[in-house]
Amino acid sequence: MTNLLKTEWLKLRRYRAFWLIMIVTALSYPGISYILRGIYKNIMERPGDASMVLKMILGNPFALPEAWHTLAYASSIVVFIPAVVVIMFITNEYSFKTHRQNVIDGWSRNQFMTAKLIDVALISVIISALYVIVTLIIGLSEVSPKNVGKWGYSYYAGLFLLQTFAQLTIAFLIGFLIRKAFIALGVCMFYFLVFEPISVALLRKYVDDIGRYLPVEISDRLIPPPAFFARFDKPAYEKALSQVSIHILYTLLLTVFIWWICFRINKRRDL
Amino acid sequence: MESVLSVQNITRHYGHIRALNKVSFEVPEGSVFGILGPNGSGKTTLLSIILDVLKADNGNFLWFGNPGSSAQRKKIGSLLETPNFYHYLSAVDNLKITQAISGRGTEKDIDDVLKKMNLYERRRSRFSTYSLGMKQRLAVAAALLGQPKVLVLDEPTNGLDPVGIAEIRELIIELRTKGFTIIMASHLLDEVEKVCTHVAILRKGDLLTSGEVDEILSDEDVVELRAADINRLAAALRDISRHVVIDEKQNVVHASFEKGTARLEQINRFCFERGIVLNHMLIKKKRLEARFFDLTNN
Repeated sequence: MTNLLKTEWLKLRRYRAFWLIMIVTALSYPGISYILRGIYKNIMERPGDASMVLKMILGNPFALPEAWHTLAYASSIVVFIPAVVVIMFITNEYSFKTHRQNVIDGWSRNQFMTAKLIDVALISVIISALYVIVTLIIGLSEVSPKNVGKWGYSYYAGLFLLQTFAQLTIAFLIGFLIRKAFIALGVCMFYFLVFEPISVALLRKYVDDIGRYLPVEISDRLIPPPAFFARFDKPAYEKALSQVSIHILYTLLLTVFIWWICFRINKRRDL
Repeated sequence: MESVLSVQNITRHYGHIRALNKVSFEVPEGSVFGILGPNGSGKTTLLSIILDVLKADNGNFLWFGNPGSSAQRKKIGSLLETPNFYHYLSAVDNLKITQAISGRGTEKDIDDVLKKMNLYERRRSRFSTYSLGMKQRLAVAAALLGQPKVLVLDEPTNGLDPVGIAEIRELIIELRTKGFTIIMASHLLDEVEKVCTHVAILRKGDLLTSGEVDEILSDEDVVELRAADINRLAAALRDISRHVVIDEKQNVVHASFEKGTARLEQINRFCFERGIVLNHMLIKKKRLEARFFDLTNN
């Protein structure tokens, strides 16, 4: 395991494109959170009755403990940025044919895949740590409601980690199967940002809520919209909350299944 | 002599195309084993299978008497097809990855192999800035890292200039004298003849022959003869030789006889009795190139 980590580090430490995208990632997570908080502050600070009404409806979603939930939801929107890193990781190996060389030099095929699994897990952990830091900074700077624990919804950090890992796993699968960086990135963006959201909405409108079983949506449902949405449609919000537990199971099953498929394909196919 | 590699009935298809057909041979320890064949004969497919890059449909192979494994590959320095390195990393950083994966060599060894392959001055340059020849040199350097006792080299002189080709030849001869086992695929028959102790010749996936180079080359006796009228000489020789070829450029006739049956005195008498006076006659050792063309029908 240490050897796999060391080798992956050797591959990355002088890879400028990787660090550039990691910087973009590191900026985008706090960025989206601060943008949303800015919009909220802007609305709330407007003089007049409208802002008072909104304040009553929304409460303060950026104060702890609600910030855990709000910022997990907001941060999950930009998962496609680290997805670029994950796709680069795997497609680079195919572009340079180093996936063969690693095996020729003495890794087993399973070790190669385990190294990639570690990469995806590490990126997920780094992003989750970033989310936790941003949440604490923003949340602690806001006035929290009295008699409510600040750590009440901190379990969203765990859900966020699982969601990120699951969705980056899907990005990895796309890169692993397509092998060409630009095509894989295009397919990934189209699927994450266009195809699946539209499919989920259309299915919900014309068929049923079966869109929740689509690959990205399965883990999207781990973090329902923030609590203030309950003021607009309480039954839908409560339904979303009640589905979180089963979606944890679905997410785990799908993620394990994808990695199992990747290991199996890599073991059998020609390099 | 103990076998380093034993290939047993390996068969491989790409769809309907048969790339290898029940190929079997042994690579003795300390040999320089050349795998020869025209394009598409299955050389790289065979090397890819023994390095676990491709899977065989049937058959198996043993390294050091054991089935292939990642632990065994770590002990083998390999260059397969093209130099495969991270384009954004320098030679040193790429070799550190080779070292980390294979466990072969130290940081000092990295410098040593780079010096040996004349890349030391450019060790900090990114791989993407290297010429084709430099990339090939780096691939050979990676294979040599940590002095593995077995090397698998697929077309090691690809992209090298004449000086580079000569250096690789010298390197292989040096390693051979030190007892290394080298398995190499090549198109360059002249190079193979100069450095290999054993060869296997493939054509369209079939193993045509394998064994020691001298044995394979001396499959028949070839006698070179000259007379005033080489056409008359050739016509006469066809009565006693199994294959007669006129070389008009050299103005000689090559007559083939079953191995060990060519008697110069008898041939001379045979010609004289038919009124042909020979002015030149010698037994020629067959070149690998000629043997290769015979076997592959080119």
